Amino acid sequence: MGKDLEIAGYTVLPLQLPPAESKRVKPATHYLYLRPHEPRIPDADTPRSLFVVNVPIDTTELHLRHLFGTQLAAGRVERVDFEDVPTKKKGGMATAHSMTTNVSRSKKRKRVTADDLQNQLDDVALPSTWDGELQKSGAHAVVVFVDKPSMEASLKAAKKAGRKKEGEIVWGQGIEDRLPQLGLQRYLNHEQARYPPRAELLRTVNDFMTVFEAVAEARRKEQALRTQEPDEDGFITVTSGPKLTSVAHEDEARELIEKQKQKSKGLEDFYRFQSREKRKERQNELLKKFDEDKKKLQEMKRRKGKIRPE
Amino acid sequence: MLTHKAKRRKLSPSPQIAQKAEQSNESKLNNYSKIARNEPSSMDGLARRKNIDRSAELALASGVYKSNLFKLQLDELLTESRPNYGKHVSKLQDILHKLKEVIEQIPERPPKPAIEAEKEIRNTHGIVVPYPEPLPGKDTKYTVSYNKPTNVNVVGSFVLRTGVRASEPYTVDLAVTMPNTVFQEKDYVNHRFFHKRAYYIACLASGIKEAGDINFDIKFAQQDGDSLRPLILLNPTDSTKSGSQSVRYQIRIFTAIEDKLFPIGRTLPMKNNVRQGSPDQSESCAPTPFYNAALRSEATVAPFHKLLYSTAQMCDSFRDACILGRIWLRQRGFGSSFQQGGFGGFEWTILMALLFEGGGFNGKPILLKSYSSYQLFKATIQFLAGKNLLNPLLLFASDIPSPTGTPTLYDGKRGLNILYKMSPWSYSLLRYEADIALRMLNESRDDNFDKVFIYKVNEPMLRFDRLITLPVSESGTILRTIRNHNVIYEVLKKALGDRAELIFLFSNGAEPWSVGKKFSHKSTSATIQIGLNLHPENAMRVVDHGPFAEQKDEAAAFRSFWGEKAELRRFRDGTIRESLVWSDQLPSPSIVYQLLVYILHRHFNYAEDEISYIGDEFDEKLRNSEDGIPLYSSPAFQLVTDAFNSLERSFQSLEEVPLTVRQLALASPLGRYSALRVQSSGLIRDPVDIVLQFESSSRWPDDLVAIQMTKVAFLIKIGDSLVSSGAASSCKVGLENESSRTLNNAFLDISHTSGVIFRMRIHHDREQLLLERQLKEKETSLRAKQEAAYNLSAYKRLFIQSPRLTQAIRTLCTRFPSLSPTIRLVKHWFACHLFTGYVNEEVIELVVAKVFTQPYPWDTPSSVMVGFLRTLHFLARWDWQQDPLIVDLGGELNQDTLEAIHTRFSGWRRIDPAMNTVALFVASDIDPDGVTWTQHEMPPKVVAARMSMLAKGAVKLVQANGLALDVSDLFQTSLAPYDFIVKLRTEHLHDRSTSLLKYKNLNGLDSQGQTANLKVVGPFVRDLQACFGPNVLFFHGDENCDMLAGVWNPQTAKPKSWSLKLTYSSSPSTGGPTKKDDEVTINRDAIFNEISRLGSGLVDSIEVFGTK
Repeated sequence: MGKDLEIAGYTVLPLQLPPAESKRVKPATHYLYLRPHEPRIPDADTPRSLFVVNVPIDTTELHLRHLFGTQLAAGRVERVDFEDVPTKKKGGMATAHSMTTNVSRSKKRKRVTADDLQNQLDDVALPSTWDGELQKSGAHAVVVFVDKPSMEASLKAAKKAGRKKEGEIVWGQGIEDRLPQLGLQRYLNHEQARYPPRAELLRTVNDFMTVFEAVAEARRKEQALRTQEPDEDGFITVTSGPKLTSVAHEDEARELIEKQKQKSKGLEDFYRFQSREKRKERQNELLKKFDEDKKKLQEMKRRKGKIRPE
Repeated sequence: MLTHKAKRRKLSPSPQIAQKAEQSNESKLNNYSKIARNEPSSMDGLARRKNIDRSAELALASGVYKSNLFKLQLDELLTESRPNYGKHVSKLQDILHKLKEVIEQIPERPPKPAIEAEKEIRNTHGIVVPYPEPLPGKDTKYTVSYNKPTNVNVVGSFVLRTGVRASEPYTVDLAVTMPNTVFQEKDYVNHRFFHKRAYYIACLASGIKEAGDINFDIKFAQQDGDSLRPLILLNPTDSTKSGSQSVRYQIRIFTAIEDKLFPIGRTLPMKNNVRQGSPDQSESCAPTPFYNAALRSEATVAPFHKLLYSTAQMCDSFRDACILGRIWLRQRGFGSSFQQGGFGGFEWTILMALLFEGGGFNGKPILLKSYSSYQLFKATIQFLAGKNLLNPLLLFASDIPSPTGTPTLYDGKRGLNILYKMSPWSYSLLRYEADIALRMLNESRDDNFDKVFIYKVNEPMLRFDRLITLPVSESGTILRTIRNHNVIYEVLKKALGDRAELIFLFSNGAEPWSVGKKFSHKSTSATIQIGLNLHPENAMRVVDHGPFAEQKDEAAAFRSFWGEKAELRRFRDGTIRESLVWSDQLPSPSIVYQLLVYILHRHFNYAEDEISYIGDEFDEKLRNSEDGIPLYSSPAFQLVTDAFNSLERSFQSLEEVPLTVRQLALASPLGRYSALRVQSSGLIRDPVDIVLQFESSSRWPDDLVAIQMTKVAFLIKIGDSLVSSGAASSCKVGLENESSRTLNNAFLDISHTSGVIFRMRIHHDREQLLLERQLKEKETSLRAKQEAAYNLSAYKRLFIQSPRLTQAIRTLCTRFPSLSPTIRLVKHWFACHLFTGYVNEEVIELVVAKVFTQPYPWDTPSSVMVGFLRTLHFLARWDWQQDPLIVDLGGELNQDTLEAIHTRFSGWRRIDPAMNTVALFVASDIDPDGVTWTQHEMPPKVVAARMSMLAKGAVKLVQANGLALDVSDLFQTSLAPYDFIVKLRTEHLHDRSTSLLKYKNLNGLDSQGQTANLKVVGPFVRDLQACFGPNVLFFHGDENCDMLAGVWNPQTAKPKSWSLKLTYSSSPSTGGPTKKDDEVTINRDAIFNEISRLGSGLVDSIEVFGTK
């Protein structure tokens, strides 16, 4: 193919995947789609970033550094942001965050120190048990280069490489021993890493608890401070103790209803009209049920056909 | 409400009430045409009945019937089952009239000796007289003859309108009353009557054959499988009319005699009428109850018809009740012939008619004419279940002696035991079925309509625990057949004793045969089938205790019964008894099999290869594919339980942990006797999950992440303390759910001193509260809410439902001994069909538990075979899109819970109509949520559909093959539906992973090859699923399975225009200029490459089927 491989504005870069050990697996070509990064809200890094779509599942930062830095020899990569898949990890942080907002009601007046501590807390995590994360098939990533020229040169080089015969570049060639291992070893390593050393676990937990307490302490102080600080109009909001949560309110309401029920017990049939009404109600109830059952039968007949012994 | 009904009855009297059954001496043909004329008016009444006031209908519905829906279904069933009499009558009237004319014009034949007469009729008409055996010899002195019949009547269900529409042709009965002139006084002895009757039948056949204008295929058949009484079977041959639209029917012509021809006293059950020596010998010979009753029933044709007719006139709902009874019997395989149990629709009808007159306490009637059809049906079932007719019940008679061991319901007016065709075994089966039916009808929770009337219950493989087929040299006469069956039954009953709860013998009756041929009994009934229902515990007893040595007579009898198998033994308590010892050591077959083969050989000289036997194969399957653990009481499970109890004790004395332990609970299939594989090389192979809960304390942090961290700290502490107290040899904390900080993050693997490894997680109930609060909070983001919902469901599953389910299944396993092996066999089935990754074990356990706790229309399964097959049967029938599965685990499933479950189910279907997250809905009394084990595509819709399909296929296979079934066929899965197969390298994986692990010097916890294999393949499949998510489905079995099967999502097959939303590896379309530029196709080769690189060392090869 002589002309530029391009699709929907993306440059197509064919890559030869390394041969697999298994039998009956054909050699395969993988296709990367590249384009200058154009997010909806650009930031300082945007001009020197490249948007890469359809990365192989085993892609690591090292892979991409090697691809652009050595294999295409066009530019140095500063960092790689992988696709923001809604992973549990991100969600978890969000949860942790929202939890803390429960503790301090107003976010606006949070002291900087509490947030700092919170971030610090988020960084304390239990040791990872995997050698490397995998990407979802067809995922994308943002490659941030050291400067804009490197990015442009890389795109150019990719275009050039695409124009050549396919399969020139082999994915991850030359850095095999620096990549996290796949296959059996990956799982064996994981099996081992699931049981981190006791000391490491203890250290993580202690670190976490220390920071956690610091956060709690900072928030308490903020809270105390807020009760004394006059707002813009010069008023001080007076609060008295912890408020009842909505759950407690519900419980209370339920109890009240229960109590009232208890009170009126035994008085249902006091007047004649009551028992008459009740009878009527019951009859209506029966009628309603009868209709429902009729509908049910119709439905059943519609689904299973006629009612007939097998 | 009854008063209401009575009033209605007065207002609209039955239109046929005026008719009286006085036409007994005139031809019933007129009678039946009269009814035909009445048709419109009765239809009128029906219409009127439909239009009655709704509240009356309501009252009717709520009181007299089981429930509204039940009543509505019942009405529907009745309407569907009533044959279209108008159509039948219009079609048959002419034919029947013609037949009658033909019969009345048959010329008389003078008396001749039997053999001579036979020769004559064979030569002139080509008809072989169907003389029953013993055939009349040369020396027979009596003569046979033909005279014009006194009467030709249509009788039976056609006239009475008690028949049921069915797939087989509708039968019209024509009774020809033979004139008294044909017979002599003493004809009731030694088959003389039956020979004369056979000749009479042959003459009728010849007459019909000669009459040219009737298009019938004439055959002889046996009346109710009774070789004494052949009859004529007419099938219409006119192919032009018998299209799919026309009414299919057959006409049976049989004989009757007048009531007074032979005195009743001669045919009482205890009389003897078949004499070996001279006919005048004393009556001391053995009684011939069947012969007598067969003779007597000839005389009862008209009286019974009269009785039924008047009953039908008296009680409106009688006919409907007959239909219900017929359906119920037919679904259970009961029929009028001896081979089918001897209790069919006719007997049911007679029984009901008699119960209107008596049968109850002090001879009071059991049925009242004001009963509804349902009440009639239920009361009759109740009578069958409750009254033991082995103690003879005499109606309108007293002091009639009857034989012991067979059921007797003697109708004194007609002089017949109406149950004469029933054998002890068929009677016990009938009572057993009636008992189940009664329990179903009495259950207030479910209406069980389908199970009483709709389900086909007589599939032997689903009904009996063990099935045996024996070849029998058929004697050709019913009397001898009965005797043979009886002998086999008696021997089996004695030999099996309390090992068997039910023994049922059944065989096929004779097929109709051509009138020009002799009845050949070689082709018929060449086998007899025996179904056994076993007592699950007694069946496996190794030693049978016989009589004590001192009881000389009994001991001798025991010895003569058992032969050399009987041994005199001294037992531990000092007694010396006759005994039998069976082998329970592998590889010897099951004890029941050993016993059957031995006893059948000893008493009937059957060689082992003549006996075909099915039932044990399922247990063997389990034993071969697993560790040979048949029962929940096996030592391996006991080891787990003991270790757990000891661990629980050590927890109570745990001192260094700041909180007190509230509860330690098992939460693992290993702890509830339902794990498919338990041991490998003598050790419990998998960690046993347990859940620890502390007394509540305010010292826990109020933050989900911090709680997880605190748990880690606790686990380390507990581990240290367990090791130092000596309860555990080593402990280590492991991590899980790495991707989330709020899911349970850590567990403690405790290697208990007994060798069992426990995996403990800490249950902290504050988590639930915090998560629920998060869900309610308004300012939480949507994603955080989803996360919280996911965490909450995971929390409930792990900490609440899993221990609860474990407790419930444990209890059930001890209650039903076959539950544990059945669950495990079903799990094996699921694994064989590569469902392991998609169906939670717990779902399987719940499905099987349902088959055991709600077994209707059968009784609780007492063997692995029926348990397994009924589970498949259930899966095949389960319409999971429309119906939730509701399991009664603890017996506390009440109406309110049911309603709540139904509400939740319809709620799920409303919010997720495409069933993207919940396909199966499995609730129980301990888990009304119903999605605990099936949410988040466990299994996805496609896989659930495949499950149903495979179950249907299996049931079909079982029904088609019957006893010839090769059990392993059920466990072989077809790979054809998959797109590609990833073969795994398991053989040297075991060694390699083991050596690697050893090399890495892990502490010996998981140095088991197979376990390591599981631990490697499991995460590999999870990685694949995470990477290729919705576009490929990966199926795999358990660790013994050496492949993954993959299916592409069909949506990926077509080229798509390029977009960021494609979630698979793609390549630009290379289709040329016709294609649009921006199209891409799925890059399958690259995906295969990725799979095999991700699994390098694991994947042996990838085989791609087809080129889609």
